[in-house]
Amino acid sequence: MAHMLGNLLLFVGSDAYNEYGHALTSGKIIYVAEAALIFSLLTHVFMGMRLTLKNRAAKGARYHVQASGEKKVSWSSRTMVFHGAIILFFVIYHLITFKFGTYYETTVNGVVMRDIHRLVVEVFANPAYVAGYIVCLILLTAHLSHGVGSLLQSFGLNSRAHEKKRQAISCLYALVVGGGFIAQPIYVYFMN
Amino acid sequence: MVTLDSKIPSGSIEEKWDKHKFGMKLVNPANRRKYNVIVVGTGLAGASAAASLGEMGYNVKAFCIHESPRRAHSVAAQGGINAAKNYQNDGDSVYRLFYDTVKGGDFRAREANVHRLAQVSVNIIDQCVAQGVPFARDYAGLLANRSFGGAQVSRTFYARGQTGQQLLIGAYSAMMRQVESKQVELLYRREMLDLVVIDGKARGIIVRNLLTGEVESHVADAVILATGGYSNVFYLSTNAMACAVTAAWRAHKRGAYFANPCYTQIHPTCIPVHGENQSKLTLMSESLRNDGRVWVPKNKGDKRPASEIPDDERDYFLERIYPSFGNLAPRDVASRQAKYRVDEGRGVGSTGVAVNLDFRDSINRLGEEAIAARYGNLFQMYQKITGENPYKVPMMIYPAPHYTMGGLWVDYNLMSTIPGLFVAGEANFSDHGANRLGASALMQGLADGYFVLPYTVGNYLAGTNLEKVSPAHDGFKEAHQGVQQELQKLLSIKGGRTVESFHKELGRTMWEYCGMGRNEAGLKKALESIPKLREEFWNNVKVPGDLNYVNPELEKASRVADFLEQGELMCLDALERKESCGGHFREEYQTSEGEAQRDDENFCHVAAWEWQGTNKKQSLHKEALTFENVKLATRSYK
Amino acid sequence: MASNQSKNIDLVLKVWRQKGPKNEGQFVDYQAKGVSTDASFLEMLDAVNEQIIADGGDPIAFDHDCREGICGSCGFMIDGEAHGPERSTTVCQLHMRHFKDGDKIVLEPWRAQAFPIIKDLMVDRTALDRIISAGGYVSVNTGTAQDANNLPVRKRDADEAFEAATCIGCGACVASCKNASAMLFTSAKVSHLSLLPQGQVEREERVLNMVAQMDAEGFGACSNTGACSVSCPKGIDLTTIARLNREYVAAAMNKHDAGQKLGDG
Ligand SMILES: Cc1cc2nc3c(=O)[nH]c(=O)nc-3n(C[C@H](O)[C@H](O)[C@H](O)COP(=O)(O)OP(=O)(O)OC[C@H]3O[C@@H](n4cnc5c(N)ncnc54)[C@H](O)[C@@H]3O)c2cc1C
Ligand code: HEM
Ligand code: HEM
Ligand code: SF4
Ligand code: F3S
Ligand code: FES
Repeated sequence: MAHMLGNLLLFVGSDAYNEYGHALTSGKIIYVAEAALIFSLLTHVFMGMRLTLKNRAAKGARYHVQASGEKKVSWSSRTMVFHGAIILFFVIYHLITFKFGTYYETTVNGVVMRDIHRLVVEVFANPAYVAGYIVCLILLTAHLSHGVGSLLQSFGLNSRAHEKKRQAISCLYALVVGGGFIAQPIYVYFMN
Repeated sequence: MVTLDSKIPSGSIEEKWDKHKFGMKLVNPANRRKYNVIVVGTGLAGASAAASLGEMGYNVKAFCIHESPRRAHSVAAQGGINAAKNYQNDGDSVYRLFYDTVKGGDFRAREANVHRLAQVSVNIIDQCVAQGVPFARDYAGLLANRSFGGAQVSRTFYARGQTGQQLLIGAYSAMMRQVESKQVELLYRREMLDLVVIDGKARGIIVRNLLTGEVESHVADAVILATGGYSNVFYLSTNAMACAVTAAWRAHKRGAYFANPCYTQIHPTCIPVHGENQSKLTLMSESLRNDGRVWVPKNKGDKRPASEIPDDERDYFLERIYPSFGNLAPRDVASRQAKYRVDEGRGVGSTGVAVNLDFRDSINRLGEEAIAARYGNLFQMYQKITGENPYKVPMMIYPAPHYTMGGLWVDYNLMSTIPGLFVAGEANFSDHGANRLGASALMQGLADGYFVLPYTVGNYLAGTNLEKVSPAHDGFKEAHQGVQQELQKLLSIKGGRTVESFHKELGRTMWEYCGMGRNEAGLKKALESIPKLREEFWNNVKVPGDLNYVNPELEKASRVADFLEQGELMCLDALERKESCGGHFREEYQTSEGEAQRDDENFCHVAAWEWQGTNKKQSLHKEALTFENVKLATRSYK
Repeated sequence: MASNQSKNIDLVLKVWRQKGPKNEGQFVDYQAKGVSTDASFLEMLDAVNEQIIADGGDPIAFDHDCREGICGSCGFMIDGEAHGPERSTTVCQLHMRHFKDGDKIVLEPWRAQAFPIIKDLMVDRTALDRIISAGGYVSVNTGTAQDANNLPVRKRDADEAFEAATCIGCGACVASCKNASAMLFTSAKVSHLSLLPQGQVEREERVLNMVAQMDAEGFGACSNTGACSVSCPKGIDLTTIARLNREYVAAAMNKHDAGQKLGDG
């Protein structure tokens, strides 16, 4: 349950982050949001790994052959912990590049602030960065496509009549978030 | 010699059970936990008895041959359970259910038992619904019913095609609740291999732990056998693989009489045999006959696909011969008619040993959806097994051994000829006479377990002086050793034939000579060949593995050893009963129209057999049957 | 019934053989020759076993009883799929017409810590029974029931309860779940009873106790992978899991609010 709640926070939190981070606004609220975000991220990572370890133990030995026919299940659901981990590295690396990256200053309307725009443009001028980002973001999409549906299911927000809707919402959300993020590096790369 | 006292209470048929209950001795609730009751078999009868006795406060030990009681063979019953609720307001009543059952049993059942069964049928439905059994309902949310073979009213309650499963889960979960509160101790993967009788009373059992191979002794003040039927004597039947006569047979060898072994029911609607490797037959619920029409081509050897045979070249033989019951004629009648058609060379399918069960007309009338709602899972099952789609082509069916009306003899209290040994469900002989009506076995199993045994076992315990015994008692030691030795013997023969091959051969003999039609010459032949096969078994069987661990072949071997004795008794009983009645059809005794001909003058009795020792002819005892309420009449379904 | 497409095929079986729970296991190859495509999978194994016995070997142990898909005894992995390639089918109802001549088939037992291997393809699933004893019932003693029709149940609920109640306790859900979670099994029972008026009184204790027992047995947690429902021979729906979660959250909150102690596992 705690795991689920942690995830929920993250889920809500990451939305808050998106607004915050990418709107480039500032103020006190940032730090609160930041703290909540970091906390929930860490909780999520911790719980996710613990859950996976516990579940592995519950399984014991693995099968010699994996289901391949009618009964196989979605790839993303089986591999949450792997793309989860890659996303984590992505986030860390991402923070290193941006948050703790080169500090440019600029003055807008008389206020001195960090010129994040310049950094972004610089970074995404490098095609390797762009490719790496895109791969990671695709994984994020996969992670979310299962994750959000799973979240709904875990909170019991599902019933026979809504099963299709649940899957659709999950997919849609993942695509919007994933697609939205993917669009940025591509846009920056090609526009500059 | 024990005299057969059926202990039928006095009074009018309606009052017997209530008066009897009132007259019974009671065990003080505080004293109940001092009594240990063993229940063997956890099907409907066993699980319901264990649950109810546990609730009352007795110490119950329940023995389950599987890893879980939910796997007992009651789980396979599809069609439904009867009860005289008259919810459909079609004129049903306790008396009518009683009447139908006595008549359906071809006047070979005890009136008093049958009436009690009809009486408590009503409580069974209440109990099951309270437990959460999800019976089918109509749009008003009330219970739905359907009609079943041998009845003209709709009194069958059902849960799609999985009635037995749902009822069993009800009884099983009631029992598991008692397991949780430690009133019932569940011993799983145990097979009973002997009954221990001390001072003439049943005092415990010997079981083999099927996991460890250990042979164990268990002491009790009363033993209930609820170990099901013995159709597997035919090798191919609708019974599960672990259904066996072993528990009943070992009790028989300890002095419990075996009643009417020859009464076996051959079910008309099973999926026909496909080949040599076939291990069991699958029943298609008889409820299918509500909407399916049974037919064969009019012309011999007509091999055209069903769809190409026009209506006027089809013989809807049940409708033709029995206009008022039509496709719902009782099981024995329907089975025999199917056999005649096949014998005439009018069978269908590649083997020619099958008849059609056709849904074309009801699909046209009601639509595929309505049919799917009623029988969806059965159709699916059929398609899975045969690879054919019954919505498009008729099903092919053929009769198969299905239920055994015979069983250990019990009195009105369900106690056998060994005091303290009670027998419930299909394992006893009590309520169905020579033929059981559809949807009545589930009813009987639950009646015995929920509503009869809890009273009669208490009555026995309260009225009996029982000395303390322990597994160190000579009686236990002797039985324990006997079991151990027999198992060792089976392992040590190391002959050349597998258990399976003996079982198959016995099955073929039984089906041929003691199946749907029996005659003197055939039965005599079987009585010669079975002892020979038995002798070969004990000299030439090959049982791999050892005693001390999981060994399914050893389990099978000891079951087949018992079938090899019991099959012989069935043939003997069939030979002695020189009449045709219900599931026992002696070809010499039939009317000019080919209908069964009873001989009430000479055979209106229960035949109860007493064991005399290995390879000795058993002796016959008779319990006369009297019919005071339903007048003896020829059964007619025309 | 010998259908018209009936023919004989040869197969190679790669079967997990393990003497007991503490022994090491390994795969052993067996030839299954001339198998009729009308035979069931277990009938095919019977024939292989007859051959093994004739050759003086130890036959392959597997659980089975009814052989008509209802008792829940049978079940093992066939090429990584619980109960084999067909949907809504138990091993005993799987027929050889779904295999091709020359196929090599891998048979493995259910794998889960909570299901110790007994021998070969046989495992111990009594943990499922203990989940039921923890609360999978309505506490009504024999003889105390009211008239059955005094308790109408909306047809829709009755049908949905029935569908959840068709679970046969085979354990395929656990076996196919990468987390060895018994969530589908448990949720099927919780759904069956919480949909019916009879099940209301004990609704909250039931879900809390059954889930506690499930955890205590060492089953994994559900991460909504969905393999269970795909493998379930009775097609128990994933929404039963959502229902369990809903029931659980509601019960846990109520328990907290009422501050009362509920019986444990
Ligand atoms: C396919 C099929 C469909 C049916 N459909 C219907 C129907 O629709 N309506 C109806 O009324 N009836 C039906 N019947 C009949 C009915 O299901 C059975 O007669 C009834 O369920 C028997 O219940 P029981 O409790 O007496 O025995 P069972 O449920 O057979 O239980 C006995 C158990 O004891 C076990 N056992 C045997 N020997 C030993 C031993 N030595 N030690 C320990 N355990 C042992 C057996 O393995 C078995 O599991 C059907 C039967 C079959 C086979
Ligand atoms: C391609 C798309 C993305 C771009 C262009 C981008 C850009 C940025 C920039 C410029 C910052 C620095 C903000 C600041 O320091 O003020 C930042 C911070 C951050 N980003 Fe991204 N980002 C992208 C995708 C993502 C994704 C997909 C995630 C997470 C899954 C993510 C997580 C974070 C986090 C956690 C921070 C730190 C926020 C903080 O300061 O607390 N970003 N991002
Ligand atoms: C090491 C890092 C990570 C691991 C091990 C991990 C693991 C998991 C696992 C196992 C789940 C499934 C839980 C369930 O279904 O109950 C999950 C769900 C989820 N993850 Fe991650 N994850 C990681 C990083 C991330 C990141 C960086 C994000 C966001 C950008 C994220 C977003 C989500 C969301 C929204 C869910 C669904 C919430 C839920 O089901 O409870 N995860 N994660
Ligand atoms: S839920 Fe399905 S797979 Fe799981 S035990 Fe029940 S029937 Fe088997
Ligand atoms: S496969 Fe396992 S993860 Fe959940 S949805 Fe089914 S229990
Ligand atoms: S053997 Fe009963 S379900 Fe397969």
